[in-house]
Amino acid sequence: MTALPGLSLPGLSLAPALAPSSTETRTQDLPAGSEYRFEVPFTRTLRLRILSGTAELFGTELAPNSKDAYTLSGTKGAVYTWHGCRLELAGEPESEYVAEETQMTSYANVHFALENAREKAGAQKEIGPRVLVVGPENAGKTSLCKILTAYATKSGRQPVVVNLDPRQGLLSIPGALTATTFASVLDVEEAGGWGSSPISGPSAVPVKMPLVYQYGLGSPEEGKTFRPLVTRMALAVTSRLEEDEQARASGCIIDTAGASSHGKGGVYENITHIISEFSVNVLLVLGSERLYSDLSRKFSNRPSEEPISVIKLDKSGGCVDRDETYMQQLRQSQIRSYFFGQGSNNLSPHTHWASYSSIKILKINDASAGVGSSFLPGDDDDVYGSTTASIYETVAPSPSILNCLLAVTNASMTDRHEAIRDSSIKGYIYVADVDETKEKVRLLAPLSGAIPTTAMVMGTFPEDVSGLVG
Amino acid sequence: MSLPSAEVAADFKDALQDLKINSRPEISNLTIIAKENTEHAQGISRELEKHIQTTRPEWKLPALYVLDSIVKNVGTPYTLFLGRNLYSTFMSAYAIVDASTRKAMEGLLKTWKQPVPESVDPRPVFSADVTRDIESALIKYRTVAIQQQALSQKQALQHAIPPRPPVGAPWRHTPSPSQTAARYTPTNDPRRQQLPLRDQFPPAPTPPPNHFPPPQQQRSFLPDMQPSIDLNKLNIDLDMLINTTKMEWASNPGDSHIQQKLKALIDLQTILKSQQLPPDQIRMIQQQIIQLSPAPAPTPPVSIAPPPYVTSIPPHMPGTSSWEAGGPVMGFHPPPSVRTPQPAIPPPGFDPAWLSSLLTSSTPTPFVSAPPSFPPPALPPPAAPSLAQLLQQYAPPPTPVAPPQPTPIGSADWLLQALNTHKLLPGTPSNGNDVELTTASIAKKSRPHLISKLYEALPNQCVTCGRRFESSPKGKEMKARHMDWHFKVKDPDVAKRGVHRDWYIGERDWIEFREEDEAAPAPVSNGTSAGGPAAAKKEAKDQYIHVPTDAALVHAPCPICQEKFEPQWLVEANDFVWMDAIKVNEKVYHATCWEEYSRGSGLGGGRGTPDSILGKRKAEVSSNGLYKKARTDL
Repeated sequence: MTALPGLSLPGLSLAPALAPSSTETRTQDLPAGSEYRFEVPFTRTLRLRILSGTAELFGTELAPNSKDAYTLSGTKGAVYTWHGCRLELAGEPESEYVAEETQMTSYANVHFALENAREKAGAQKEIGPRVLVVGPENAGKTSLCKILTAYATKSGRQPVVVNLDPRQGLLSIPGALTATTFASVLDVEEAGGWGSSPISGPSAVPVKMPLVYQYGLGSPEEGKTFRPLVTRMALAVTSRLEEDEQARASGCIIDTAGASSHGKGGVYENITHIISEFSVNVLLVLGSERLYSDLSRKFSNRPSEEPISVIKLDKSGGCVDRDETYMQQLRQSQIRSYFFGQGSNNLSPHTHWASYSSIKILKINDASAGVGSSFLPGDDDDVYGSTTASIYETVAPSPSILNCLLAVTNASMTDRHEAIRDSSIKGYIYVADVDETKEKVRLLAPLSGAIPTTAMVMGTFPEDVSGLVG
Repeated sequence: MSLPSAEVAADFKDALQDLKINSRPEISNLTIIAKENTEHAQGISRELEKHIQTTRPEWKLPALYVLDSIVKNVGTPYTLFLGRNLYSTFMSAYAIVDASTRKAMEGLLKTWKQPVPESVDPRPVFSADVTRDIESALIKYRTVAIQQQALSQKQALQHAIPPRPPVGAPWRHTPSPSQTAARYTPTNDPRRQQLPLRDQFPPAPTPPPNHFPPPQQQRSFLPDMQPSIDLNKLNIDLDMLINTTKMEWASNPGDSHIQQKLKALIDLQTILKSQQLPPDQIRMIQQQIIQLSPAPAPTPPVSIAPPPYVTSIPPHMPGTSSWEAGGPVMGFHPPPSVRTPQPAIPPPGFDPAWLSSLLTSSTPTPFVSAPPSFPPPALPPPAAPSLAQLLQQYAPPPTPVAPPQPTPIGSADWLLQALNTHKLLPGTPSNGNDVELTTASIAKKSRPHLISKLYEALPNQCVTCGRRFESSPKGKEMKARHMDWHFKVKDPDVAKRGVHRDWYIGERDWIEFREEDEAAPAPVSNGTSAGGPAAAKKEAKDQYIHVPTDAALVHAPCPICQEKFEPQWLVEANDFVWMDAIKVNEKVYHATCWEEYSRGSGLGGGRGTPDSILGKRKAEVSSNGLYKKARTDL
């Protein structure tokens, strides 16, 4: 492969130019125990600053008297205050209001209950609580995970946060499943609101170190690679918790997709699988009476196994439905910021021309997915053993792969498909151009240097992003 | 309770939450809900009682009107359910609302003693024994009020100065302090209810002596009392007290008394910060603070008091037991659930400013043996139960009955006990965290003392990112390192440097990766901090040079592999560097390339043929033995 001199493209194809937001500021007083809810589209910004009091955004306390205001875009969020505060706001959110009825008291209580469990676990040198958050779409699962994570880090913990919702990325792009130990403050300004994975330069908010797996589909319910991946991730997370003394007592917090909570006739195969693989012992059911009833019946009284605390939580009144347009914009912004960074962290990805022959791309075999799942309903052991070579099919480079994202795995092309499936990934590259006559593709990689020769996997999710590179 | 009942009650509760003014349509709406759901009367009544007890003082009256409307328009079974706890519902509200609301509440009570207007039923709205208890509590209240006023009046006359409002009367409501006449009209004067707290108790046989120093004193200190309501000042005083106590504790970590006191104080601070208290309550807390402050030996307060009163103080006053036994405290028989936030006004000698100056000047040493050394003579006793009652209001399920506090007031034990009694410090004494992993324990119960673990317990905040640290020396060190880190990562030229995202680390590396806290003490060894397997193959890769400033060099690739160098931020160097790079004869090579090459070419003592493309080379490359990693792509 020829690595042409790296094309540095900072600022190219960044998010659509933000509409100039008015510089006019206004103040907003929040009484103790209330929250300021807002929705800012991707085309606008909201700048906020604390003038007095304390305030937190999904559990992450905002800096006081910060000279630089927090800039939020493409965010639907809420600033909550335990003690009352005065905010300075600038910009035009799509909607904004102050709500006095919130669920923060319950959510904070969850944190303190977990703290008790962590203390106990710490005293016995055991792994802390494994918390699973389930609930329908737009019930605030990810927000709850953020709150619990932020409170945990504030309390000096290092919980491992596991994202099993491919619809939105956590320190990676959508379609990926990640596990990350959070020891530092969340970056509320970042697309997704968690933070950034490591970059080659300094970062104002400490970077987080995620372990990333490629799933490549939009829902954990489709395809048969989800459960084996959960098994694999659980293994990695458990190993980490066992070996990492600082993180052990903190346990883990697992976020899931709303789709996993739909169930089929009261059976929730993926939830059951996650619970058994991660040895979940705290199950937080958000905003669904029925799901709570089904799950508590199933898991509250399990003789001969470790008891699971099934806890029902109300959905926050601030939860809003995020339509497909918004979700797509969110995905695109996460993909952009993977390559180009966001805000003051401008990143410089590199493009390379590579010949057709030098890249080998695998794609999840759609046909086998259907067959496999009907033959092997929910039986992971069989998935491991018997369905060799049918997980992926090879895709020859062609104009059809234009604008696709390829996950660069740590497995070799010659490895068994199971090994490729279970491999964590190094990152993503993007097919920026395909020259059919010269049989070359132009690839956008996050960094320069030779593109790894390991297996690359193409997913069907997230959808193609056009025009990432001009 | 069946599920629908819970739902109805929850709906009712939601509707109640919105009731903030005396709105006829809303109240009749709520009444209709209650009427249509008499089968859920129990749940609804409970929600209503709960709401009245927990809502803000200014919203209590509308809620009481709902209660009134329901019992009058619907009647049984609501009268039964609501009547059961009417005493506590009514009195707890009465204790913290303002004067006009109290008056309205008395009006309500009056109508409850009578039959429903235009009703054929001759029985009163609530049975007589329900209303009688409330009545008698109010009468007691009133009696004490009058006596108290008479007393202060007498004093005022004795000293031949213009009459003043009774000590402790709400200054803010009396534009002119000389409306003495009104004070004797017990029924209508709203200020009647605003009496100092001790007035709810039967009068002490003799007033606490130093409560009433000569009016001259009183006068001279009065100007200073006004600002004592100031919340900021209170916070500062409390802060100071906490700091002093912390110092005490630091010098005497084994003393559990001090520890308890500190905890109690911090909890109090939490309450202060997390709740909006009416000014009179704030004033009262301040009073308490002043008492808890390590006032320097009992002398100063006593010296202010006029000589005759001094004699009435037993000389061995500091002994708390004697205070309990012989002091005026004995005189109290608090009606169990009358809770008034009304402050017992500081004896004028207690100018807060004066006290805080004492506070700051006092050295911690004399107070190491903290609790017993608090000078009892300085305590206006009534303030103590009042704080207990004040705290009680913030107890999650307001307990209607405030048990008398047997512990010596003013001591840390006492404050702690007050907090404990009222479930502000529930559960285990170790950390006060009683939350269990059950839906019931988690649902909606507010625990401000736990929230303070996320805030007040870590008072030292970084203004750049909001991270909080303890105020201990260790916390300060951590913050200093944290600020250093902020400084290090601040680089205005970052954008120009071509920063890029790194590949994610692999599974094994991730499992072995350990998060590093930038505020933690420097790791033992810099090189291995990233941990794990990388450490073994570091040597060559770890060599770095600062990114050259010479333009020709910056763009030149490694002469061996023809790949360009990647600038990287290296915290240790505090600069952008080229990792895995080595400068030899004004050319920059990948250290690993160079190693490979020089080994192959026999440089530095290796085997192999002596010469190669590079021509001249010297011994700049040292210790080839260290180079282990080979670049396979050469």
